[in-house]
Amino acid sequence: MGEIGSLAITFAFVVSIYGLLAPLLGIALRRQDLVASARGAVFASLFLLSVASVALLSALLGRDFGNSYVASYSSAGLGFWYTVSAFWAGQAGSLLFWALLLAAFGSAVVWQHSGRRELLPYVIATLMGTLAFFTMLLVFISGPFERLAFPPADGAGLNPLLQNPGMFFHPPTQYIGYVAFTIPFAFAIAAMASRKLDDEWLRATRRWTLAAWLFLSLGVLFGMQWAYVELGWGGYWAWDPVENASLMPWLTATAFLHSAMIQEKRDMLKVWNLVLIILTFLLSIFGTFLTRSGVLSSVHSFALSSMGPLFFAFMGIIAVLSLGLLIVRLPSLRSTAELDSIVSRESSFLFNNLILVGAAFSVFLGTTFPLLSEAFRGVKISVGPPFFNQVNVPIGLSLLLLMGLCPLLAWRKASSANLKRNFLLPAAAAVLTAAALVLFGPKQPIAIAAFALSAFVTVAIGGDFHRGAMVRRSHGEAYPVALARMVARNHRRYGGYVVHIGIILLFAGMAGAAFSTQREAVLRRGETVSINQYTLRYEGASTYPTSTSLVTAATLSVFNSNKPIGVMNPQRNIHRGHEDQPMTEVAIRSTIWEDLYVILAGLGEDGTANFRVIINPLMMWMWAGGILLVAGTMIAFWPERGESLRNRARYLVEGAP
Amino acid sequence: MRRVWYAALMVVAVVALPHAPAQAASTHELAQQFMCQCGCGLTLANCAHEVCGPRDQMLSQIRQFVATGKSPLQIRDAFIAQFGVAVLSAPPKSGFNLLAYWGPYAALGAGALVIAALAALWSRRPSAPPPVAEDPLTPEQRAVLTRELERFED
Repeated sequence: MGEIGSLAITFAFVVSIYGLLAPLLGIALRRQDLVASARGAVFASLFLLSVASVALLSALLGRDFGNSYVASYSSAGLGFWYTVSAFWAGQAGSLLFWALLLAAFGSAVVWQHSGRRELLPYVIATLMGTLAFFTMLLVFISGPFERLAFPPADGAGLNPLLQNPGMFFHPPTQYIGYVAFTIPFAFAIAAMASRKLDDEWLRATRRWTLAAWLFLSLGVLFGMQWAYVELGWGGYWAWDPVENASLMPWLTATAFLHSAMIQEKRDMLKVWNLVLIILTFLLSIFGTFLTRSGVLSSVHSFALSSMGPLFFAFMGIIAVLSLGLLIVRLPSLRSTAELDSIVSRESSFLFNNLILVGAAFSVFLGTTFPLLSEAFRGVKISVGPPFFNQVNVPIGLSLLLLMGLCPLLAWRKASSANLKRNFLLPAAAAVLTAAALVLFGPKQPIAIAAFALSAFVTVAIGGDFHRGAMVRRSHGEAYPVALARMVARNHRRYGGYVVHIGIILLFAGMAGAAFSTQREAVLRRGETVSINQYTLRYEGASTYPTSTSLVTAATLSVFNSNKPIGVMNPQRNIHRGHEDQPMTEVAIRSTIWEDLYVILAGLGEDGTANFRVIINPLMMWMWAGGILLVAGTMIAFWPERGESLRNRARYLVEGAP
Repeated sequence: MRRVWYAALMVVAVVALPHAPAQAASTHELAQQFMCQCGCGLTLANCAHEVCGPRDQMLSQIRQFVATGKSPLQIRDAFIAQFGVAVLSAPPKSGFNLLAYWGPYAALGAGALVIAALAALWSRRPSAPPPVAEDPLTPEQRAVLTRELERFED
């Protein structure tokens, strides 16, 4: 099977090179047969990479420890799902996964958009050029089918850090997000190359962009959840370079999703949208590059390699070609519409874009600054959470403010009556929230500002829902029916608002960290530690084997204001094959207001146990925010009845004298 | 409306007032300020390794420093002397490092100026010439459609 897999990857590389060249030659020589054959090459690459993937999966599930990759990332005792997740646990497997996803998405696009004769050849060339790069890495640098001269009896097993249910979802969703951004990028390149610079490429890829954004968001959220339950330091975001690498394309893609609306509605920001999607694609490759190159040390450093220069060269080529093409097409990209007023929804979108791209730049600068410092001054420095929090918190708060302002402003020009009517309640909610926190809560200015702005945005969005529903109610519909029909008639707008509410909850959860408290305690059996209203009594520890590890679990009785509420069992696990790397399994007790988070930091030979107990406020709000973000995106994604008819009507109205 | 703004100003004033002096930094707070020297790339407070000699040694040093009454600044200087400036989880705010601290704000400021300039330019630009094609709707139909769309968009 290994030979078949290896051969399939080599053929996929050759086919992708053909798929890159054939459409370009087809256009140059005016030969439709070459373009048609390039379409076939996309499907062929999917077939070949599927064969290679099945070969790798069967090697993993068949415990073929003669395969170097299988021996490095799995073991005989590893469960079925973790064995499947070993597919993307290592470098070669994850590159194959990337290539497979790209071939699958490419095939879907070719099948879905076969009628777009002018754009499609360039779309295929861009997709297959990207695929050629990844298959080249698989063929020449890091293949998943290398054989060992002396196969071991058992494999090294999966890194214990990766043996967590979250890890089954985090890498695939992250990769789906990264890879899917290749589709709007390819259409953008095609639009520039074919001189079809209207908004066809935007409309053709709107759902792809939304899906890519959704999966990247899911990847980030799953990563946060994994860090929270698995890394055992009490938080979910450490501003690790690889975490940052996933945040940057998310920020620029968010900016793109907003500015694309301006182009669709007002025929403005054509150049900016092209810049944003190029940037997003480059940052997606940069994310893969950071994870796979090991150029910056990270909690993801289980994937070190020496392929950094190749990624760097690929990004350089993409940047030069795409930006070069953009510069050549600049004269044809002039907007036809004008901005009626600086106080309008359009301008709030512009500032929202500025803040999002500014945040991406700030994260990029912070992430790469250690390299810059060493390169320019020869001084090694570190850039960790205190730096990122200090620089990014004001930017995040500005973003929150704009998120609230945007729905309050009318398109084209907001009148003073419009401002007065829409601003009063949200502003009052913000002031009341801030006042309540100042009077009754801990004096943390940043957290107070975050909560006040969250209240502002929530009331602003709630008001917009309410106003819309009231208009429909005036036509005789019951309020809940009016609300539901209003959402059903404009999925994009109201789905977007639901996403915004999700983001507010995420912000509130993050702001809640300002009120976090923690204690460390060394306890003998029967002794207690108290934190806020909770008291935890250490009842003892027990050690027992499972199929994959030796578990040591402590038992703590938990009391809330002296009332027993349950038992918590923080653990330390020693996985077979990784005896030098004991793992913490934290115990978490969640309520809507806070998480009680207990870490078993160590066990003394004298029978004592060392605990770290943390109260993390509003964590559940964060996860609820994540769920709303997904739900809102799904609403925005869902096709609307009569969508094309309305687009046509809007076109006619906007084209009117 | 004016009352709301007064109340907002009062809240801002209260928030901006200097607060009571902070209590002595805890071991955890200090641990956030230093990078673990095991190579994990995380702070002492965040190092994910279950067994980590450098982390435990540095945390123990911090506890000793706190117990002997050293200030956070003295602890910082002691660690810099021992490990170099890379031990700090945020680079010192001086010289070249100011680029990292202020670069994003400078970029945002420049971007805001560009947006303001573009907004002024676009606002002054004459409207696009009317389309030559005949309007497919009657004036009455167009008025109804415009009203409906405006209501829908608002």
